[in-house]
Amino acid sequence: MIIPVRCFTCGKVIGSEWQRYLQLLSGGKDAREALDDLRLERYCCRRMILSHVDLIDDVIPFG
Amino acid sequence: MKIEFRGLEENRAQILIEDADPAFVNALRRTLLADVPKMAIEDVEFHLGPIRGEDGEEYESVTPLFDEIIAHRLGLVPIPTDLELFVPRDRCESCEGEGCTNCTIMYSLNQKGPGTVFSKDLKPIGDLHFAPVEPDIPIVKLGEGQAVLIYSTAILGTGHQHAKWQAVQAVAYKYYPILEFDPKDKALDESVANVCPVNILEAGDGGFRVTDIEKCTLCKLCEEKSEGRIKVKGDPTRFLFHFETDGSLTAHDVLLKGLEILQEKFAGVAENVGALT
Repeated sequence: MIIPVRCFTCGKVIGSEWQRYLQLLSGGKDAREALDDLRLERYCCRRMILSHVDLIDDVIPFG
Repeated sequence: MKIEFRGLEENRAQILIEDADPAFVNALRRTLLADVPKMAIEDVEFHLGPIRGEDGEEYESVTPLFDEIIAHRLGLVPIPTDLELFVPRDRCESCEGEGCTNCTIMYSLNQKGPGTVFSKDLKPIGDLHFAPVEPDIPIVKLGEGQAVLIYSTAILGTGHQHAKWQAVQAVAYKYYPILEFDPKDKALDESVANVCPVNILEAGDGGFRVTDIEKCTLCKLCEEKSEGRIKVKGDPTRFLFHFETDGSLTAHDVLLKGLEILQEKFAGVAENVGALT
């Protein structure tokens, strides 16, 4: 669905990093470098971004 | 007791606490986690029915996410907090729980689709200093003809009411690491140094050495690999204490408030014990 506001495990705000993450990836970085650049150190926060699938566009017509 | 800052940033702190014991450091950890207050959105009011735009066009108050989910997401957005200024709403003397400028911050959110609604669209009614600290958190995405009109109220709360009022994230401490070994031991070579997951061991001509002991996670992989030639220990009187904040408060303010709350609690105990005699 839409990127969660916070990390499920530790509560760090990660929602604002999603757009930046996509920008870094399109700039040619791999996922590891991008997550490091975003200063996501713990694996709980890293998986929030790494494993996210943005499905919000698919459900907009059903609103 | 001695406290030394190893790294203090706006939103994170690494502290060395010496001459303490686990009970004290854990009390501080739990106080920071559950008792330091901060502001978060608690009440959210949705406008239902058609919303007329400035251009005269009509929008439906429909979104792809349920209202409850939007309300929950708004609650998690960090709200800048001034602990000198605000009191908890249910203990507010000037309004007796009705909600006034001493205990609440009002926000409006008025956006029309198509497009993403961000936390920066959450406009404080009154003082603009209270705009959300993180501007780029997506709240919801709107399609063609969809719109949201929301009024919400932020109040002061603590972490043991709900995690959205938790002022700190990832509060943790570890014993100060101690590695005991003989630097001249020939058995301590590259193969032992390479096993360290945080890369703080070095084997060279000058002997075996540790580059940054404070990074050690006490995982004991080196102890295992070197068959006990390295002994990994933790010092139970020295602690490396780490925490982050979500931006509502600075790391410095959170720590001061936490210690102040601890002090008040113990003063309360002392007072009650004093009354017994």
